[in-house]
Amino acid sequence: MIDKRFLVGIIVFGSLWGFAECIIGSMIRDVNLPAGAIMTGVFAIGLMTLSRITFRQQGMQTGIGLVAGALRFFNPFGGCFICSAIAIMAEGLLFDLIWTGFSLDKKETLTLTTQMSLGITASYLVYVGGYIVTQILTPVFSSAGFYPENLIVFLPQIFASGLLAALLGVATVPVVFVIKKTHITIQDRLYYPVTLAVSAFCWVFVIVNTILIIWL
Amino acid sequence: MGKDRLLPILALILLFIASSSSLYVYATQSTTDTLLINGQYYTMDQLFSIAKPRSFNDSQYIGIALDDLMLKTGVSNPEQYTFTLKGSDGYEKTVTWENMKNGLLTKNRESVFSDLPKAFRVKDIITIEVT
Repeated sequence: MIDKRFLVGIIVFGSLWGFAECIIGSMIRDVNLPAGAIMTGVFAIGLMTLSRITFRQQGMQTGIGLVAGALRFFNPFGGCFICSAIAIMAEGLLFDLIWTGFSLDKKETLTLTTQMSLGITASYLVYVGGYIVTQILTPVFSSAGFYPENLIVFLPQIFASGLLAALLGVATVPVVFVIKKTHITIQDRLYYPVTLAVSAFCWVFVIVNTILIIWL
Repeated sequence: MGKDRLLPILALILLFIASSSSLYVYATQSTTDTLLINGQYYTMDQLFSIAKPRSFNDSQYIGIALDDLMLKTGVSNPEQYTFTLKGSDGYEKTVTWENMKNGLLTKNRESVFSDLPKAFRVKDIITIEVT
């Protein structure tokens, strides 16, 4: 039987990530900061880590990526939005594979070294993976077509650009573990109203923002 | 040994890859005043004097027409070729002749295409290869 609480968890975390990508990501880009690395190293890794240590269930981050990617799809700005949506979905899947691959759900506690290493590994691989997916999909979805040599010569640049995401991840993951230790919980009777209201807010905000940008 | 014990090793390897890639990118970045098109070097002033101007989005993007530039620099039967625009940072994108007809080159050496996504905006172009 599907756990309703788990499903609502996917929706709320995915909506928050999608909201961050569409709204906060645009704001960061507007002030000429490296939005991609910040979004992955702080928001994506932070939200996915928090969801994973809260629910400890495989597949959750793939679902979160699907929800966040779907929300990105409703914000058709900033280049190839279909590619961005698919890249976000791929990032969720990658995080899931990393966490599952290292059997981290079985551990009751993780040492600070493991948390920091996880921050580097997950942030770097998720960022680089998402970047590569976008570099392949954008030409595929355009009339120019995909030329593998364009990607191959640019790989050193992609590998280099992941450094900032990795360095941000070093701090993000331990901070999330500290936040989790504070045992902030929502009362059972408030869980569904609060999480669904937060999710609805994220979706409505992004969609209204899209409509306003198109009209104005 | 638990799999999580491998995490610090993997993290160090990834940091090494990222750092050495950064050094490589920094070391191989090139700066030049000229632009190499189909094997010939041109200055930006030369290119802007020979090719037709083009603008998009109510003159938000102004430059010279990429298709005209190719014809003026001696590319014949251009529809038979693809065009690879290479930036000084190693970023490159290959486009078709149809795309070039909707493209422009700005004074800042950036390519802008009205029919392609932002990913095709190659900055600080140093070479346009015809293949």
